[in-house]
Amino acid sequence: MPDLLMPDVLAPLLKGTIFTEHIHHYHKIGSTNTTAMEAAAAGAVEGTVFIAEQQSAGRGRGANTWHSEQSTGIYCSVILRPALPPSAVLVLTLATGLAVHAAVQQIDLHLTPDLKWPNDGLLHGKKFCGILTEMNAEATRVRYIVVGIGINVNHTTFPEELRPIATSLRLMTGAEWSRVELCAALLKSLDREYQSLLKQPDAHGSILRRFQERSSSVRGKDVYIEEHPELDGLTAGLDERGFLQIRTARGLETVLSGTVRFR
Amino acid sequence: MNQKELKELIELVIEKGIAEFELERGDVKVRIKRAVNSAAQAPEIPTVIVQTAGPAAQETGAAPAPAAPQPPSPPSKQTAASADDRLHTVRSPIVGTFYESPSPGSPPFVKPGDVVELGQVLCIVEAMKLMNEIESDVAGEIVKRLVNNGQPIEYGQELFVIRPAK
Repeated sequence: MPDLLMPDVLAPLLKGTIFTEHIHHYHKIGSTNTTAMEAAAAGAVEGTVFIAEQQSAGRGRGANTWHSEQSTGIYCSVILRPALPPSAVLVLTLATGLAVHAAVQQIDLHLTPDLKWPNDGLLHGKKFCGILTEMNAEATRVRYIVVGIGINVNHTTFPEELRPIATSLRLMTGAEWSRVELCAALLKSLDREYQSLLKQPDAHGSILRRFQERSSSVRGKDVYIEEHPELDGLTAGLDERGFLQIRTARGLETVLSGTVRFR
Repeated sequence: MNQKELKELIELVIEKGIAEFELERGDVKVRIKRAVNSAAQAPEIPTVIVQTAGPAAQETGAAPAPAAPQPPSPPSKQTAASADDRLHTVRSPIVGTFYESPSPGSPPFVKPGDVVELGQVLCIVEAMKLMNEIESDVAGEIVKRLVNNGQPIEYGQELFVIRPAK
């Protein structure tokens, strides 16, 4: 049975969210994030969704590309236009990780993804999900944000070089997943996190608290930051803005960005 | 008093247009005096004197020494502040890491001397994998970049000086 992420299949499952009206589906695309950013710059409305069966230039960390196979993963980007200052939306990457966590658990309660600060979803230490958030903002006002999510769903194998670090939901559970069901669950939880960030005064604190509950590595793990090797020590939780803290030989230091590597 | 506090103090003094400022706290005595040159385009150059006695000396010994205009490193708000109203400064709306180009190894978005349009992307500031495109809020010529590629920057930190087109 085909499991294509067609708009007319997804839309009815997304009732009550901001994502029902404008779903764009591509069989193959360079990068859903790039397309979404261009569309947002051209005026596309909040809630516009870009989904691809395959990406030819999906962007991973730095210059890395995201491994993509036809109709096996979820490659999805959404446009948001929150009436918030840029500093208030920094936690969106963390909130998106929570949305992925919730979507996976909604379908398989026994699977417990581990969130790695700031933007990776892991299963048994291997990456199955990546998040890339891009924003265009004035000093005090966000114009638009594109949240991009890549999930390895039904991959049964990976290229040699990725095997030690990548996995898929299917490889972890031994069963084929419905991408439609997972994608709908994902967009619904993302909508829930986003609405709460807009409307609930305590949403920010709740995101930080829940992220720390679902991340085994934000506290007490011996790590260093790949791009800043001098940031080296035991993780000491997130600060009130969502930045990772590391207790180094020089004292408590804050990590604004970078890749956490375990010792 | 640490380097960050001292920097904030200097910024406050510049921002409020205070000519001379003295602070005594415990063993630390700070005196900031600005040499305001009335000639057009001359940047304001504050003079900072930090006197310390006792254990605080080590920490404040690293106080930044503001100097006349210099290349992009190190970032120094004092040199960026310009008495020339015609120059425009672009600031960062978030805390994060400054990136001059869209991906490692690719050419920078802009460099000094480039003429930019209103809304043109100047750089990316990244925090927690949130990539923030910083656009120019004026059309004009890039006079100076005030931060280095990969450098951590604070909220509101000055990134570029632009001479707006007439």
